[in-house]
Amino acid sequence: MKLPRFIRRAIALAVVPLLLFCVPAVASASVAGTSTGWVRLAHLSPNTPAVDVYLYSFGDTSAQLVLHHVGYGAVSPYEPLAAGEYTVAMRAAGAPAASTPVLSASLTVAPGHAYTVAGTGPESGLRLQVLDDQLTTPPGKALVRVIQASLRQHVVTVTYSGDAVLVSHLAFGSVSPYHAESAMTATVSVTGGSEHVTASVALGAGTVHTLVVLDGAKGLVVDNLLDAAGSGAVPVGGASTGFGGTAPHAPPSPLPWLLAIGAGALLAIAGGARLRGLPRPRS
Amino acid sequence: MLAAGAVAVAASAAGLALTRHPVTALSAAAVLPAPTGPIAAVPRPETARVPRPVALTIPAIGVQTALVDLGLTSTGALQVPPSTSVAGWYTGSPRPGAIGSAVIAGHIDSRVGPGVFFRLSRLRPGDRVYVRRADGTLAVFRVTSVRMYAKDEFPTRAVYGPAPDAELRLITCGGVFDSGLGSYLSNTVVYATEI
Repeated sequence: MKLPRFIRRAIALAVVPLLLFCVPAVASASVAGTSTGWVRLAHLSPNTPAVDVYLYSFGDTSAQLVLHHVGYGAVSPYEPLAAGEYTVAMRAAGAPAASTPVLSASLTVAPGHAYTVAGTGPESGLRLQVLDDQLTTPPGKALVRVIQASLRQHVVTVTYSGDAVLVSHLAFGSVSPYHAESAMTATVSVTGGSEHVTASVALGAGTVHTLVVLDGAKGLVVDNLLDAAGSGAVPVGGASTGFGGTAPHAPPSPLPWLLAIGAGALLAIAGGARLRGLPRPRS
Repeated sequence: MLAAGAVAVAASAAGLALTRHPVTALSAAAVLPAPTGPIAAVPRPETARVPRPVALTIPAIGVQTALVDLGLTSTGALQVPPSTSVAGWYTGSPRPGAIGSAVIAGHIDSRVGPGVFFRLSRLRPGDRVYVRRADGTLAVFRVTSVRMYAKDEFPTRAVYGPAPDAELRLITCGGVFDSGLGSYLSNTVVYATEI
């Protein structure tokens, strides 16, 4: 059966705006596209004097960030940066900004990723290492890794909670892989040669830690860096934060009022008709 | 009878006219002055202990509220504030100003009118958000983006996952209200970074 043309037209007119309305609603539900990454700068070379660290957006001659007089063991907070290419340069502390850097390295900052750029090794073999820092933990776990920056003890072994091994025989200037661990407060032990040091590290669920083994004035020192933190227990789904009091509602149906108008009109017409049917009063 | 009919027509027409007026938009937000107080330095990563949050001010959309503590419901969902006029901080998330993403949620509305986060979706990148801590210090955040997500596609990683700097996530409802379910189908999330 073919529908009359005016009905088909009416259906088309009703459906087209609905489709137009639905398309933007679907598009707006896309995932957040962040365009920011993070970089932090560190001096982890025990016998290298303090340095000035410069961060340049690639090809730009004026520095975006300068850290002055950065000494051994210093690690900056993470600096949020637009994704893209960057150059990190190190100069002796106080050297002119235009002087040739002692060392430089380039890195690509990807959106949502974090990096540690560290001067590592002995002064004679100083190099800039770009570490890819992890920001995602397995559910309910903590991540921990070790940077070995002690020259006193070239090789260290790190254990925790008694005899669980975090990393064994980690050489000076190297970095261990991340280790996923259940949430706990761990007593971390670092052993190198005849030296031994312990540190209490709170490994919260959803946190990422870097333990830096450093040369202290009197022996080994452990620096516990909290690289990133999230929610320990991750809530399921979205949040029920509304009761609908201000939600747009469809306007009330006009039908009851139209019926009442119709009924009133009928009543009036009937009344008028009856009035006309009555015999005229005699004069 | 004619008179009664005429009266009925007039009354019905009046009723129709009175109930068909469009819903008037709520008046624009009163812009608040920025709160004052000592602004705490961004903490060094290894000393990330900051005081608990007690109040929230968002001058651009006229929000000024105390903060209650939020936990998880028995089903593992985010608890929401018991009142629609206060916001709450999720105690499972980092404290505002510490390393990581602090999470604050508030209602968009009650059954009868606007809630504390009614205008949250009107925030724009660059707007400031102030969180006062128990010691009187302020953590100041800059809005970086405002997004809406269907609840069944909620970006759990972006909202609750680890972040390497001090960040803030503000959550409320948005989109279509499903009267059958008694809930909105979407969430508005505001992302902000400490300055």
